[in-house]
Amino acid sequence: MAEIRLEGVTKRYGDLVALDDVSLVIEDGSFTSIFGPPSSGKSVLLRVLLGLESVDAGRVIVDGRDVTHATPNARNLSMVFQNLALFPHLDARDNIAFPMIRRGATQEDIDRWLEQLSGVLSIGHILHKRPAALSGGERQRVAIGRALIRDASAYMMDEPIAALDARLRDAMRVELKRLQTELGRTFIYVTHDCEEAMSVADNMAILENGRIVQQGRPDEVYTRPETLYVARLVGSPGINVLAGHASDNGVDIAMGRIAVPVDAGAVCVALRPEALGLARPGEGELRGTITDIERLGGFSVLTVSGGEELRAISNADVAHRIGDEVGLTVDPSGMHLFDPQAGTRIG
Amino acid sequence: MTGLILRTVVVALFAAIALLPISWMATMAFKPPAEWTSATAELTFLPKDPTWSNFVYVFTGEVEGQIVSLDRTVWWPLFASLLTSVIGTLIAVVAGTAAAYAVSREKVGGSIGLSLLQLRIFPPLAVMIPVMIMWAFLGMIDTWWGLSLIYGIVTLPFSFWLMKSYFDELPREIEEAAIVEGCTAFEAFYQITLPIVVSAVASTALFIFILNWSDYLIALLLTRKEWTTIPVYMNALATAASGQLYGAKAALGLIAAIPPIILGISIQRFLVQGLTFGALKQ
Repeated sequence: MAEIRLEGVTKRYGDLVALDDVSLVIEDGSFTSIFGPPSSGKSVLLRVLLGLESVDAGRVIVDGRDVTHATPNARNLSMVFQNLALFPHLDARDNIAFPMIRRGATQEDIDRWLEQLSGVLSIGHILHKRPAALSGGERQRVAIGRALIRDASAYMMDEPIAALDARLRDAMRVELKRLQTELGRTFIYVTHDCEEAMSVADNMAILENGRIVQQGRPDEVYTRPETLYVARLVGSPGINVLAGHASDNGVDIAMGRIAVPVDAGAVCVALRPEALGLARPGEGELRGTITDIERLGGFSVLTVSGGEELRAISNADVAHRIGDEVGLTVDPSGMHLFDPQAGTRIG
Repeated sequence: MTGLILRTVVVALFAAIALLPISWMATMAFKPPAEWTSATAELTFLPKDPTWSNFVYVFTGEVEGQIVSLDRTVWWPLFASLLTSVIGTLIAVVAGTAAAYAVSREKVGGSIGLSLLQLRIFPPLAVMIPVMIMWAFLGMIDTWWGLSLIYGIVTLPFSFWLMKSYFDELPREIEEAAIVEGCTAFEAFYQITLPIVVSAVASTALFIFILNWSDYLIALLLTRKEWTTIPVYMNALATAASGQLYGAKAALGLIAAIPPIILGISIQRFLVQGLTFGALKQ
């Protein structure tokens, strides 16, 4: 049982509120990603959990124990730092074994764990090398090994794979997910990359200026964003946001009218690119002219203009050309309405 | 290829120019008095009649061919120089490292770093005359502790600023990682940070030792007789009867070059080590 709970945690740096009344429950054995744009408070949240930063208000509870004021080494949490922070004067083996040595583990235990971990992380052949002699991916795995070797309540990772090249990043992402499933441990994963946050996690929390604006399974967050901010953050290509006016069970936007039961007034219409389907001119709810086609191999992204601009995902072998008039159908499940002032969800 | 030859020639030329005074001193140390006094008929680079007599003279005070014997041999000044330089270096490095760590990590001390520089902003004499008066009041003139202390104080700014730049460069996440993995703050410093910066400490210590070792002005002002150091002693190597004892001075110069060289060689493996290379992602 290793549930982690934040209750109303607030952290200020002078006038800057880094965390604003954050409450969050991270369930035992879950893979939770904390996602937000740069300087939204993600790293501070981890540092507060770890005890590297004090809190101004609220409580941090690990395994049912209030550790709000406990020192970092009394919290039994483990961490992979963004810059890895390996110990440069120790070889990979001593780096990984460090937490065990610190806790007075026997050589036997250390060897057993090292063997198991080096199998999982495939680092057996580099254990004798110092960090300076390792490649980026190897350092990464050593840092993860150092965090995983001991039996912590939870393992935190602050953008652990952000600096790797794209191919390696994809591989590590899969690797991490597999590791977490295999070991059944609690992972808390901080990232500013939406795709990363969604792909690894079974639970995600989204931060905006130090506040958690939404929390839930990645697919829930995607299909039912609670605010315009969240809708914009998740998904690639990004969601289309258009100004609309609702009246008589329909919303008028520059490119047409979409039937939807909603109170009259100004609304923000957000349309997922994949919810838009190409149709012949005159058919579908919306109409416009294709102004750009990006062919991305598996699919194409079309830009359609008509007063405003929309991006729509279409199949790879799209026959249309730039300048063609088209109609667009709207799948209601990919359409979200928000209050234009507050940015909150309508309906 | 031509570039390589040209470069070798230029480097060799500069090396020769740089080494000329040192080699001149080295050969002079082995010349008998007849070859370095003003009565010398012709100057040669290499001694015509090489001899150890200059070394024997400074260590025993007497040697065949010198009518005047020295009041003091070099033994005690050599000891005084070693003792005060080493203690001064220890003070500067220990206090400077501790202060630099605190300022770099905890952002404490306000403008202490700049205040430390004050000692170095003024011309040395302007600072040292008041210090001499203070030291006289405190009864620390011509004592080993008085000289060691001031050596530690005047070199502290160097060790502070050098070490601070190293600590600033060292990401604090490395210590935080140690703390998260079970260390106390002091253990993180002692077991992780210190071993990482050991090469920086070594080079700082060497630099400061050489500063202290080669100091003339402070020792001249703050010692009288007993605790005079090598540079002060060397300046006094002259007698009314024989004039400047160049041969003896050259011999002493060679001897004085030995401790920094030994120290340099013994910490060489730290000097060549990188600082944090490999700790981070890139």
